[in-house]
Amino acid sequence: MSWRAHGSRAWLMQRVSAVYLAVYIVMFGLYLLLDAPTSYPAWREWMGLPFIAVATSVFFAALLMHAWVGLRDVIMDYARPPVIRFILLTSVALGLFAMGLWVLRVLMLIPTPLSIVTVASGILPLATLVHPCTA
Amino acid sequence: MRFSIYRYNPETDAAPTMQTMELAGADVTPDMMLLEALRLLKAQDESLTFRHSCGEGVCGSDAMNINGRNGLACTTPLVDLKQPITIRPLPGMPVIRDLVVDLSQFYHQYRSIKPYLVVHDPEPEMEYLQTPQERDKLDGLYECILCGCCSTACPSFWWNPDKFRGPAALLQAYRFIADSRDQATAERLDALEGPYRLFRCHTVMNCVDVCPKGLNPTKAIGQIKKIMLKHLI
Repeated sequence: MSWRAHGSRAWLMQRVSAVYLAVYIVMFGLYLLLDAPTSYPAWREWMGLPFIAVATSVFFAALLMHAWVGLRDVIMDYARPPVIRFILLTSVALGLFAMGLWVLRVLMLIPTPLSIVTVASGILPLATLVHPCTA
Repeated sequence: MRFSIYRYNPETDAAPTMQTMELAGADVTPDMMLLEALRLLKAQDESLTFRHSCGEGVCGSDAMNINGRNGLACTTPLVDLKQPITIRPLPGMPVIRDLVVDLSQFYHQYRSIKPYLVVHDPEPEMEYLQTPQERDKLDGLYECILCGCCSTACPSFWWNPDKFRGPAALLQAYRFIADSRDQATAERLDALEGPYRLFRCHTVMNCVDVCPKGLNPTKAIGQIKKIMLKHLI
């Protein structure tokens, strides 16, 4: 997700992320249909599986990247005055970045190898590992 | 037969108007093309201005917007058209007079893709040879007559006619990328990089819909993207 990604690279990013999003959404849908968790702890446990945690993190990264390329395209087509375009692009970038941080925080609430690494490296305080509901 | 025709002389008129014109039923024959009708209308009102030349879909001069759809007047059968037949100039282009538009920007985009073979090797003493299979790759590309129907039907070209090459120029860009005799593929791809020149195409496919020669610029643009991808990875 870079300001400089344009042309073929942005196009490739959009396509690759689209494929990933489609696969993830179908798999996630199938899981909810066929083997839905019956309780909150079961759901947390499932989300904590290393494979699921990584796949979910990649899903949100792909989603933010895809949204950035797509929204940037729309703004480039329709927002012509440079000032308005700059304001819109900045708002979208900041908005997506904030959502990324929020997603990161939610994912970190589940004790996974990923979150443990992050806590160990001091990025997030240990307290965030405890879900507010269970604390 | 009733017509509603766009009339505008930027030098004298404040705004364009639609003029209602009529052709007597006796003048209309079943196999008549729209261009014939326009010529008869011009006999009624000599100030009506439009371009035309070959009259058989080869030169591409008489491209115009017919009942909301771009096409060539000379290959559009009159009997198929719903009345009143509404004739406007090609959309999005500056009007010079009535149905005559200024296509400078369109030609500028065409020139910018270097529509000629670029060869770095010394020229051969004989002609350049090509296998029948290599020649087949140019089918569906070389037939373009540059009438401008596709590019002026493209929303991306309406928004960015100065930056987006447009379907016609991109079809020709691929025509030279696909040509086995051309040696400038990498330069051609580089020249199409960036967010605007090629990648403003959002596969709306108006170009495919209106092309009077039945060509497919969207497919050509897809092929260029594929080749770019090969060069990227």
